[in-house]
Amino acid sequence: MRAVIRDGIGVFHPQGFLDGSSGSSFLSIEDIDATLKSNASMILVSLKKVIFFNRNGLDTFVKMFQKVRSENHIIVGFCDYDKKKYDAFKKFYNNDLTFSLFKTQEIASLFADGFKEKNKNVLLYSEDKSQRAALAIELHDNGHNPIVAQTQEEFVQKTKVKGAYDVIIENTYLGQTGQKVATRVTGNAIIYTVSSFLDAEIGNTFNVAYHNNSLNVGFRLFIFDAYKVVSMNIHALNFFSKLASSSAEYNATICFVGMSFDKTPLAFKETLEDAGIMFFAQMDDILQNKKLLEELGASSMAAVKNKRALNKVLVTELPRFIDAAVTTIEMMTNSKAVKDAAKVDKIEIPDKDDKIASSIGFYGDIDGMVMLVFPLGIAKKACELLIGESTDDKELILDTLAELVNIVGGKVKTLLADEHISVDITLPRTYHNVDGLLEVAAGKKGVQVDLSFDNDKFLFFLTR
Amino acid sequence: MITIQQIDSFIEKIPPSPKILQETLSLLNQGELIKAAKVAQNDSALNAYLKELVNKPVYGFKNEINEISQIFGILGVSGSQQAAYNYMISLLSPAKWKLFKLNKSSFYDLQAGLSAEWQKITTYLKIKDKDVQSAVALLPASIIVSEALFCERLNDVKLLRSVDEIDLNTILQRLCSMDLFDISQRIAQKWEMPQKIAGIIQASSGVKPSADETTDLLGKWMHLLLFYTLSKPAYIEAGLNDFIDFQIDYVSDIYEDFTKLMEIS
Repeated sequence: MRAVIRDGIGVFHPQGFLDGSSGSSFLSIEDIDATLKSNASMILVSLKKVIFFNRNGLDTFVKMFQKVRSENHIIVGFCDYDKKKYDAFKKFYNNDLTFSLFKTQEIASLFADGFKEKNKNVLLYSEDKSQRAALAIELHDNGHNPIVAQTQEEFVQKTKVKGAYDVIIENTYLGQTGQKVATRVTGNAIIYTVSSFLDAEIGNTFNVAYHNNSLNVGFRLFIFDAYKVVSMNIHALNFFSKLASSSAEYNATICFVGMSFDKTPLAFKETLEDAGIMFFAQMDDILQNKKLLEELGASSMAAVKNKRALNKVLVTELPRFIDAAVTTIEMMTNSKAVKDAAKVDKIEIPDKDDKIASSIGFYGDIDGMVMLVFPLGIAKKACELLIGESTDDKELILDTLAELVNIVGGKVKTLLADEHISVDITLPRTYHNVDGLLEVAAGKKGVQVDLSFDNDKFLFFLTR
Repeated sequence: MITIQQIDSFIEKIPPSPKILQETLSLLNQGELIKAAKVAQNDSALNAYLKELVNKPVYGFKNEINEISQIFGILGVSGSQQAAYNYMISLLSPAKWKLFKLNKSSFYDLQAGLSAEWQKITTYLKIKDKDVQSAVALLPASIIVSEALFCERLNDVKLLRSVDEIDLNTILQRLCSMDLFDISQRIAQKWEMPQKIAGIIQASSGVKPSADETTDLLGKWMHLLLFYTLSKPAYIEAGLNDFIDFQIDYVSDIYEDFTKLMEIS
C-alpha cells in the first residue's frame, strides 16, 4: 500500500475490515520505508475507511510502528476516527499506548515538522492531565497558541464560542509521554486501587518495583483505595504486613481507605494496624485534612536505604537525561540554557532561597532518579503555559511542575527505548523547598549539572 | 480512450457458446432443476467446475459432493443459476492476470465467497427473487472485464497509479467513461436481467443510492459484502481492496446486522 504524503505526514488508508490476518496485507515495513524515503516525518494509518478492527489487526501495525519509531525517532500512530474507535483504542491498550492518536489529519498536522502554517489558536482538552500538558507543550513548541481546558465543562463551554479557535483538539493522545501507574494527588500521596478479593495473587499484580522506586524518589504516603474490596485472606494480610515493614524503613505511611471488614476477620485489621497501616473510612478524611496530609506525607527522615553508586550505563546515558530536561524547560520558558558546571559528588545547593524541586525515578534495564531544582521564577514561567495564566499559588505551581517533570520522564523513557533500554518511570515527587529534597538526596552521590536560564540558576542531579 | 464499442465487444464475448450451458440456464430459469441437471451432466467442464465450487470450504459441506443432480438439489434453483453464471464468467477468466494479482484458483474462491455470503444475506432479508440472488455474480464478471480493459492500457494505468493515489475505479472511468459498476450494469443488460438488478448494482457502488428502498437496502448489503470479501489478505494483495472507494457512511445503518449475520467479533 502507498501512503499519501502531505505536509511531511505519510498517511496510509486501509479500507474495510482490519483483523489479524488482513493487517500485514494492508501494510508492510517496506511500504513505510518507501514513505520515509520521501521525507515523511510522521507515519499515520487513517481509520476513516476502516469499519471494523480488532486488537490483533491493530497489533500488526503497532509492532511496525515501534520498529519505525525506534529507528527513525518520528511520530507514529492512527488518525481519522470517531469517539467509538477512540474508546476501543483505550480499552485495547489501556495505559500502554506507545503510539499517538490524532482525531483528524488536521490535528496531526499541528504536530508535524513540515506543517508550514503556524500560530494557530488551538483549544484542547484531555481527561488525562499529563496528556493536556504534553499536547500543550508540543503545540507551543511547534509555534501554535494552545488554550487548555482544565475540565470537560470548561471545554464544552469554550467550544460554543464560534470562531474563537482555529482548531479544537479532543480524543487525541500523544504516545511518547510517561506511563500512568497510579494516581497522584496534591500533597505527594500515591493512591493505589485494589478491588474484589485480595489473596496470594496480590503479590503478582502489585508492582513492587514501582513502589520501591517511589519510596526511593521520596514519596512517603501510600493510600490503598479499598472501597471495592470484598474480602482479604491470610496471604494478602502477610503481603501487606511485609509491605508496611519495608516501607517503615523509609518512614513511609500506608493507609487503607474504605475497607469493609464484613467478610474479613476483624483480627486482620488489628494485625495490619500493628504493622503500622492506618485505616480511614473516606478518602476525604485524608485528602481534605491538610495538616494530617502534611504529617503523613512529609519526609521526616532521609532515605538511608539503597545508597548505590552510579554505574557506567547511567553515565553513558547522561546526555539523554540532560537533553530531555533542558529541551523541555527551554521550550517552556522560551530561554536558552547555558551549562555552567558538572561534577560527580553529593548534591550541593548553595542558595536555597526561593527554590522548589521535583524528582522522578526510573527503573527497569537501568534504574536511578533525576532531581531538578528550579528557581521559583523559572518554575512559574515554565508552568505558565500549562496553567494558561500567571499564578502565585505555590500548590498549583508545584502540581504543574510535577506534570512538567512527568513529561521529562516520558521523554527520557522514549529516548532510552530508542536505544533498546526499557525503563518505567515513577510519578514525580515535588518539594516545597530545597530542604525536603536534600533529606531524600542526603548522602547520595550523583552527577550534578548546573545550568543557567537567562542567569537564573537551575540544577540537574542524576543519582541512584 | 477506450471506446464503448471496445467494451461492448468484450462483454459480447461473455455469454459463451456452449449450447449445453445455454440450455442448462434456460431450464434453471424455468425452475426445472432435474432436467437442468440432466443436461448439465453432458458438459464435463461444467461438471468439474460445479464440483470444485460446491466443495469449497465456504459452502461448508462435510462430505464431498459429486453428482450434478445432488449439487443442483443442494444449491436450489437460484444457487444453481448463480453457479452457472459463475461458470460462464470463469470461461472468460484470463490465463494470466496482469494487473490484479489473481489466478484461476483465487478467482474461483472470490466467486464462491461472494456467492455463498450473498445467499446468506438474501435468505436473511427473505428475498426469494432468483435474479436478485444471482446479481452478485456480476461483480466478478466486471472484474474480468476491467482487467481486460486495463491491460489494453497497462502502461498508462501504471503511470497514473505512480503519480497520484487514485483508485483504479476512477482510472477506469477516466479511461473509458465507465466504472466497475457501469460495466456490471452493462453485463446485466446483456444477460437480460431485470432493470432492478442494474439498480442494485449501481447502488452497491456506494455513491449512486437508489430512490427505491429495497433496491437501496440491497445495494448497501452488497457494498458491505464486497468490502468484507475484499478485506481478505488474498484480495488485498491482489490489488482488489483499493479498486473502489469504500463508502463507510452509506452502510452504517446495516453494519450491526451485517456483523451479526457474518458472526464477526
